[in-house]
Amino acid sequence: MLSPYTVLDLSDDRGEMASMILGDLGANVVKVEPPYGSSSRRMGPFLEDAPEPENSLQFFAFNRNKRGVTLDVTTKAGRAALLRLAENADFVIESAGPGEMAKLGLGFDAFEKANPSIIYVAISAFGQDGPHADYVASDLTLAAMGGPMSVQGNPERAPVRLSVPQAWLHASSEAAVAALTAHALMIQTGEGQFVDVSAQTSMIATMLHARLAHAIQGSDMERAGSVLQAGAIELPLVHECADGYVVLIPTGVTMTGMVPWMVEDGIVPEEWIEGEDWATYDRRFLQQQPVVYALEDVFDAIRRCVLLHTKADMLDRGLRDNVTIAPINTVEDLTKFHQLEERGYWLMAPLPDGTDTAVAGILAQLSETPLDVKRWAPKLGQHNHEILIEMLGMSEAQAIEGGATIPQEKE
Amino acid sequence: MTTTLPFDGIKVADFAWIWAAPTTSKYFADHGATVVRVETESPPDLVRTVGPFKDGEPGTNRSHSFGDFNTSKYSLSLDLKNPQGANVARRLIGWADIVIESFATGKMDDLGIGYETVKKLNPSVIMVSTSLMGQTGLASTYAGFGFHAGAIAGFYEITGWPDLPPDGPFTAYTDGVAPRFLAAIMMAALDHRRRTGEGQFIDASQLEMSLQMLAPQIIDYNASGRMVSRIGNRSRIAAPQGAYQCSGEDQWCAIAVETDEDWANLRSAMGNPTWANDDRFSTTEGRLSRHDEIDKGISRWTADKSPQHVMEILQVVGVPAGVVQRSSDLMRDPQLKHRKFFRELEHSEVGNVPYTGHQFRIKGYDNGPRFAAPMLGEHNDFVLRDLLGMTDDEITEIAISGALV
Repeated sequence: MLSPYTVLDLSDDRGEMASMILGDLGANVVKVEPPYGSSSRRMGPFLEDAPEPENSLQFFAFNRNKRGVTLDVTTKAGRAALLRLAENADFVIESAGPGEMAKLGLGFDAFEKANPSIIYVAISAFGQDGPHADYVASDLTLAAMGGPMSVQGNPERAPVRLSVPQAWLHASSEAAVAALTAHALMIQTGEGQFVDVSAQTSMIATMLHARLAHAIQGSDMERAGSVLQAGAIELPLVHECADGYVVLIPTGVTMTGMVPWMVEDGIVPEEWIEGEDWATYDRRFLQQQPVVYALEDVFDAIRRCVLLHTKADMLDRGLRDNVTIAPINTVEDLTKFHQLEERGYWLMAPLPDGTDTAVAGILAQLSETPLDVKRWAPKLGQHNHEILIEMLGMSEAQAIEGGATIPQEKE
Repeated sequence: MTTTLPFDGIKVADFAWIWAAPTTSKYFADHGATVVRVETESPPDLVRTVGPFKDGEPGTNRSHSFGDFNTSKYSLSLDLKNPQGANVARRLIGWADIVIESFATGKMDDLGIGYETVKKLNPSVIMVSTSLMGQTGLASTYAGFGFHAGAIAGFYEITGWPDLPPDGPFTAYTDGVAPRFLAAIMMAALDHRRRTGEGQFIDASQLEMSLQMLAPQIIDYNASGRMVSRIGNRSRIAAPQGAYQCSGEDQWCAIAVETDEDWANLRSAMGNPTWANDDRFSTTEGRLSRHDEIDKGISRWTADKSPQHVMEILQVVGVPAGVVQRSSDLMRDPQLKHRKFFRELEHSEVGNVPYTGHQFRIKGYDNGPRFAAPMLGEHNDFVLRDLLGMTDDEITEIAISGALV
């Protein structure tokens, strides 16, 4: 879909998913790395636990559908090559931090001069200007400043973040939307655009209905562990089962399907099936209208029933009986979920060590312009020859001067 | 002077509900598209029935669980099971450039407005069906929420404390993840359509999109058998990291030491306490292995300071630190004020209320939600008369049939 467009990805681990999304949607993405490689090449997990630049799975996961060049933008030749690439590019994405690119003479002005219709997307922790623009940040502090931590975790302990870094991925996926929104504006006005993405506000979005709670209802929402706060009612979401945990909400549909399980397990008498209008049970307890079986008794029955079964069994049986029950999956459980296999979600990717491994697939299924992965993450400087020498017409000496330390033969 | 907006002239028939799909169509609405949200009183969108409600008072038009996710849209109340209602839906589909829906798989077919019909009514339309599991496969009918997808994807397993059952991320995590992927896909499809005239069908699974957020960990398991689990606020590669309790009621500041230099700076910012002057703390390995002890020391230092004070002290020396902010703190955050992040808009029932703004700013264009979320059915007349070009008689007939509820 985006095949007419070229993206220059100047970002590091804080922005690489943005251009990956555009690449997945068909754009021609050129990943520009410093000669020592993107920061993400130094981030784990690593293949074979060996922290080598070509072994980073962080880099591998978020740099597919990109070709890679190395340029040292602290050199004049490197900057010149980059701005020449920009002449025929449509998007530039960077995550260096406020003012950092401008210090190198590579701010929006320089790119706009090279290409007046360029969309320049800058990803940063708090935005390009303002009182916190220069604050240092990490995934953890962004989860704090953006709000989601305040509503996450057991109330008896500290607020928690997710144990796999997420903040820069939220910001990066937002940056892909930002790039295409600005591009839609450029199509009408012909003018290039500078776009300023804030990771903090990307985290605020993940707070969902808690983000404005105080301003609207006069009180904040507070962390409640795995309990769902539905107005005056609190619903425990996580229940222990025979081999782990499941998430279950007693909606009308789910209870209709599940009460017979409880009867079958001897947990409740058979009269429960007809004794309650289960289809409307949830709407009544939410609005605190009369119910036949008290919510605490229903939860007690759910707890006892769920304990008898494994999560995979309950998922499958639930699919059959319209009981919406979700196993709390480990990565291993996830890879065994038949739905993903049935839909052909997993793609086989050649890892840098020569083995083939299943990886997360395409973003969605499109009827006329199916998405695919045309290439996997580039090795450092893999396309220096193809792009700098063949495409830009640089000499080998110029390319080396510009930081393309290992000009290689065409792929 | 009217400002040119990115999606000026784009028309969206929005059959979405709950959070994920309405957030997706909101990107188009806020940036200029004419988006008609099709809803009904019987029953209303689930999120209209849960809080936060304006002033804590429940009401169909008082929920910000609906409001903050549906700015800049028009609301048409329509009973799709009523034949006249179905006719209006078909007119709307014929009018639209994009049709988006997030019903249970097969529901649009049952209503007589599945993709095959939609394509006949409007050959170049982009139709988006989004659900937890996608439109095909045994689990396609799985009628869950973002909590369920969050558990299946693996986000619950990695959120909480290692010695306790998983807490899980706040509420329906994947509802906050999927809209960005889907909006980007739709914008690309729209650009393709602008250039080629070709529409298409998009089958987007919330689970599949969300798994990109765990992509390295999935490869790691497949390649090495290693699995991630929840470790509170700690990092596997740096220490100390955590949320530390400060003065005041349940007040916390997150601190993330990423390098040896950060540690040295944190130590001096704390006034070089004796406990911290331990050579074994000079390496990441040493700090990781004695994390509990370090946490106790830091907590003693933070205990009598406000979280803002702790953050400011550490930011001066370049150590990542941030207050654990609640919604009330966000409203006071000077950086968010500087960005004009929250926007007050006049809602027809609850009056002037704040809405969250945009996560990105486009230079030279003050982008934000354009107008407040609609009351249920607020724009019935506008949609039927002005957008669909119906006559008074037609509108009266539809109203009498009971379809506009």
